[in-house]
Amino acid sequence: MLRSSAFGLGSVAASLLLKKDGLLAADKGTNPIKPELEEKTYDLLPKAPPYPQQAKAMISMFMLGGPSQIDLFDPKPELIKRNGQTFTGNLKFDNAAQASREIMGPAWKFNRHGQCGMELSELVPHLGQIADEITLIRSMHSAANNHLPANFALNTGQPVRGRPVLGSWLLKALGSETQDLPAYVALTDPRGLPLIAKENWNNGKLPSIFQGTMVRPSEPRIFNLDAPPHLRGAAQNSQLEFLNRFNQAHLDEHPGENDLAARLSSYGLAARMQLAAKEAFDLSKESEATKRMYGIDQKVTRSYGTRCLIARRLVERGVRFVQIFCNGQSWDHHGSILKALPDRCREIDQPAAALVRDLKQRGLLDSTIVHWGGEMGRLPVIQFREGLTKRDKVGRDHNTYGFSMWVAGGGFKSGHVHGATDEFSHYAVDGIVHHYDWLATVLNRFGLNHRELSFRVGPRELRLVENDEARVVKELLA
Amino acid sequence: MMRYYHPYLDSRCRSVWAVLVLLTLASHFGFAQSLTFEADVRPILKIACFHCHGEDGETKGGLDVRLVRLMLEGGDSGSALVRRDVASSLLWQQIEADEMPKGDKKLSPEEKEIIRLWIEAGAPTARPEPENVEDARFTLEELSHWAFQPVQETHIPIVPGVPSDTPIDAFIARRLVEKGLDFSPEADRATLIRRVTFDLIGLPPSPDEVEAFVNDPRADAYPRLVDRLLASPQFGVRWGRHWLDVAGYAESDGGVDRDPKRAHAWRYRDYVIRSFNDNKPIDRFVLEQLAGDELIQSPLDPYNQRQLELLTATGFLRMAPDPTQSSNTLADRNMAAASAIQVVSSSMLGLSVGCAQCHDHKYDPIGIDDYYRFRAVFDPVFPLKQWQQPSSRLVDMTPPEIQAEADRIEAIAKEMEADLNKRRQALGGKIQELKLADVPEALRDETRQAVLTASNERTERQRELLDRYPMVKPVNFIIGLLVEYDMPAYREFEKEQQKIAAVRATKPALTKVMSTQERPGIVPVSQVFFRGNPTSPKEEVLPGELKVLTRLGREVAIPDNEVDLPTTGRRLAYARQLTDGQHPLLARVFVNRLWLHHFGQGLVATPNDFGRSGDTPSHPGLLDWLATDLVRHGWDQKRLHRMMMLSRTYRQNSKRTAALDAVDPDNRLLGRANLRRLEAESIRDAILAVTDQLNDQLEGPSTPVTQNGEGKVVIGVQKIRDGIPVGADENHPDAFRRSAYIEVNRSLPLNMLSTFDLPVMTPNCDLRRPTTVATQALWFLNDSLMVGRGAALAKRLKAGFESEEQQIDALFVSLFARPPSPEERESCLAFIREQRRLQAQHTANPESGSNALATLCQTLLASNRFLYVD
Repeated sequence: MLRSSAFGLGSVAASLLLKKDGLLAADKGTNPIKPELEEKTYDLLPKAPPYPQQAKAMISMFMLGGPSQIDLFDPKPELIKRNGQTFTGNLKFDNAAQASREIMGPAWKFNRHGQCGMELSELVPHLGQIADEITLIRSMHSAANNHLPANFALNTGQPVRGRPVLGSWLLKALGSETQDLPAYVALTDPRGLPLIAKENWNNGKLPSIFQGTMVRPSEPRIFNLDAPPHLRGAAQNSQLEFLNRFNQAHLDEHPGENDLAARLSSYGLAARMQLAAKEAFDLSKESEATKRMYGIDQKVTRSYGTRCLIARRLVERGVRFVQIFCNGQSWDHHGSILKALPDRCREIDQPAAALVRDLKQRGLLDSTIVHWGGEMGRLPVIQFREGLTKRDKVGRDHNTYGFSMWVAGGGFKSGHVHGATDEFSHYAVDGIVHHYDWLATVLNRFGLNHRELSFRVGPRELRLVENDEARVVKELLA
Repeated sequence: MMRYYHPYLDSRCRSVWAVLVLLTLASHFGFAQSLTFEADVRPILKIACFHCHGEDGETKGGLDVRLVRLMLEGGDSGSALVRRDVASSLLWQQIEADEMPKGDKKLSPEEKEIIRLWIEAGAPTARPEPENVEDARFTLEELSHWAFQPVQETHIPIVPGVPSDTPIDAFIARRLVEKGLDFSPEADRATLIRRVTFDLIGLPPSPDEVEAFVNDPRADAYPRLVDRLLASPQFGVRWGRHWLDVAGYAESDGGVDRDPKRAHAWRYRDYVIRSFNDNKPIDRFVLEQLAGDELIQSPLDPYNQRQLELLTATGFLRMAPDPTQSSNTLADRNMAAASAIQVVSSSMLGLSVGCAQCHDHKYDPIGIDDYYRFRAVFDPVFPLKQWQQPSSRLVDMTPPEIQAEADRIEAIAKEMEADLNKRRQALGGKIQELKLADVPEALRDETRQAVLTASNERTERQRELLDRYPMVKPVNFIIGLLVEYDMPAYREFEKEQQKIAAVRATKPALTKVMSTQERPGIVPVSQVFFRGNPTSPKEEVLPGELKVLTRLGREVAIPDNEVDLPTTGRRLAYARQLTDGQHPLLARVFVNRLWLHHFGQGLVATPNDFGRSGDTPSHPGLLDWLATDLVRHGWDQKRLHRMMMLSRTYRQNSKRTAALDAVDPDNRLLGRANLRRLEAESIRDAILAVTDQLNDQLEGPSTPVTQNGEGKVVIGVQKIRDGIPVGADENHPDAFRRSAYIEVNRSLPLNMLSTFDLPVMTPNCDLRRPTTVATQALWFLNDSLMVGRGAALAKRLKAGFESEEQQIDALFVSLFARPPSPEERESCLAFIREQRRLQAQHTANPESGSNALATLCQTLLASNRFLYVD
């Protein structure tokens, strides 16, 4: 029940709880419908999943814009061979006005890494060093063109706006291992919010306590964490107790109003966050070696490295789901890909690899899914911009029919490459992983079944994975 | 990187999936027996097949699948369709084997099943197919969508057994009765006055007002209350803000890298608020915003207030993001124009016309050519090739004597500045000479020569010298870093600089207007941009109404260039027909927004999308009845407010019941009122109101915002010390104005307001979406602003009331419009005692206990009872 989770107020909470249970018991005989209304309170207490659980937490490094799988993850000798030639097959352009059929091979070398011999581009050397820890999926597919539909597909199961995201579903199903920090944290880039901002951590029709909390990209990460001087300590506890009682009385007059209940619990969270969040966001206790590993000592990697390290600290402290964002849709390399892509990789490659390595050395990787990927990939042909024909200004258009992402830990295979695209890296052809398969697989690792995880909204059953063809991709699992 | 040719318009077009799923379900459950091409099969083919077999002149294999007739005729491989013979139909063979459509995305089993059943049923069409395939671009099903049909004259239903106080109630009662439901009881008076007051003026009722209403024995006490509030000047502040949301009001340009301020945008805000207060008829309000400049027939006269008003009104068309002050490419201009079009169509038509910017609208029968025809109405003020940047569009309506006075003061300031600069230069020269003294004498002259030479003309030798003696710098460099060279002198100059600024501050304000005006002779040729790309202009189009809105005999003539007017007359003609009472959308859209803000949800739940992907009206008859009534009564807005608020539907209590929740959990049927959280502005305004600090001054420039030291956006101006911003001076004289008068800066949203979900205008806001997050709780608990308000409230109570009991009673009435129960009073007293004891531990100061009442005030301001209206 919500109120028992609200404050940890000892006897006060216990007495409220008893009172409430008493009410319920009394009501059962006389008014059979009231208990149903009462059931509509939600909380973030940890809950056991119905099936065996591998993963307890997830960190998603979401690469909005669509990193080029051709230049990073999916080597195609055919493209190198035919570089500059005309592509004769069927191309799924998103931007027909600028489309060309001129094949552009990867501009960077691929090398084999680790004992598994995974082929990766020279743009991601640090990833190469952890190749034996990750599963690289080369056969992602959503066919939901353009950023918003593709983003919604990957995160909410359908390419439409307004549905709850994966993180909200995890909270709904499993609650949180900590009541002192936001259960679901979005870490954003100091240069700006990701495209569509808070819709990326939107609870949709799920109760609002399951939405993500955005943390500021610079200190103070969360405003107003310090109690005013005259209220520090016992005084604020007493204030919160009083407020809780007062709000509870109001809620009792409005049974079934989820929003009121959510606000009640938001105060409990706020109080505990004051202590816990300050500690969680404080990197001063981390060793210099750790900071170096994440690249916090280097200007180019400092920002992303800091967010990755904070993500680890949050997961360590029981946060269920963390998303790390870049600004805007910064992997959307329609132009100048030769310069922009290496720039982007330099910021992110080292911190991302450090996160996996750090979780592993702390024994957290087995229970944490680390995900790296965007909502799409890119096409094997040149996109012209405003008539420029030189390669230094060109880029690649969207590709949602075949793209790559990687995942580590949380019961996924390690040192493994799954699936394949055609010889041009345009269409996934082998071991296709649809967006809904991916989501079903993630739920599986958390001990949840995508067919069963649902939420009733009026007359409708809402599910993260609505597609009946969705399957758990067993080939990815350790 | 943003795709450059369509900002967010395309991505707003929702995926085809949702509709597909709906169609599929509908077909399976309802209409399997009566499948037709137009209603069931064509929507599938439109998405999966038209691209290669019909659209844009493409007919692969000679096959066009846009009509049944054409499929029967077939292509290179013969007939594609054999009626009642699935196995022999090439169409079926191809899709069944997943040969077609090419590529990865195949038809789903449900889609295939629809096509199979349809072929078996003889491949029927709903009606004879047109001669010309182009006439089949949109189907009757699409064209017949309810929102495109004329507003229907509806009759007030008679619902036996349920007393309906007003016509509105009859419509609501009819649907409730159908579902076996009934109205909820009327809310009590304390609840009502709080609801009505927040609803109409965005503020809580004062204790006196509560007392007067609760004890008013007159039968018409409630209508009197509504009328009093409708007449309040604060009404416009509240309801004007609602319109500013859909207009996308912002006081900064919204560029990607830079976000220049719009120093004069506030005049449009004042125009809107004044229009609501004056009960300006809605048709007039719309006409002025779309074409106010075209209503001005005489030369501009700085003393003419009506001209000023009309010009200000057209600021509406300039509210959308427009980055062209800082980044002025063709793509930027196109984005600015497209955003403005999106604001016009979503706010006034309730349509996402912008989705047709790159291709035919995926859901609504709006072609890409339609989009550019519609946009051509506005092209004379968004001429991509003869673009004006925002700063050069400002119209100066300053009276000459004011301008003269401003010029006189500016001249004085300039003179002071010149004098200051002379002395600064002299000091710079002196410092330079001092530094040269450190150079060995043998090289001194040569080094002096080097530093006096312009940097791009220096010889190798000169550069080397300056490298060797880095303290020798050009005079301008020294002046720029004077703070490092000579701090006392720098501070002295700063003081003088401030004096000059103070002189400038005495200048009278100039009247500059952010407006929309056509320039003589600018009549751009409008063209369809292929795939939305302004570098790929295709066929020319003339300005015109959306075709779907003219098919039922509505004649809409829009001139290309009206000879009798100094302007093209396009917007004027468009606005006149939009407001002639016959337009199917305008009145419905306005009525729906009013409904939304009174009841918490629109009759159409998607207020900016009345199209096929939007919501279906919960009470279509009522929507049309209200729209008709609005037009019939001269677009009188306040009359409509009054009618809604006097209804029984409005006066219900907000309690959920098991019976209502079982049938209608979202309360679409209005069997109760909705419990609602206050909007960001109302939270702030209400807190200031109960602490007696609210400054309710209307009109004028906005109170500025800036970032304080910890990065929080607060009210105030940036403090500069030694040339460096060092945080906010938050003691602004206008700090307590109503939130509608706080600067709306896209990159610097006031922290307090954005914490409570102030919308981001990209380009406008259709609907506020409240969140419930811990940061809001932290704000209430710890933000210094909030702590200060608690103290202010306590001070007020102590000044007014002797005993703690009285203070608590007064506090409750102020915040909740009712006195506390004895238990509540006792609990508050106990809380004060406890706080006094606990807070005393923090300090040796015996006075510290005086914070206890302040803490009670702060805590109750944070409570749900204050934050929600029921």
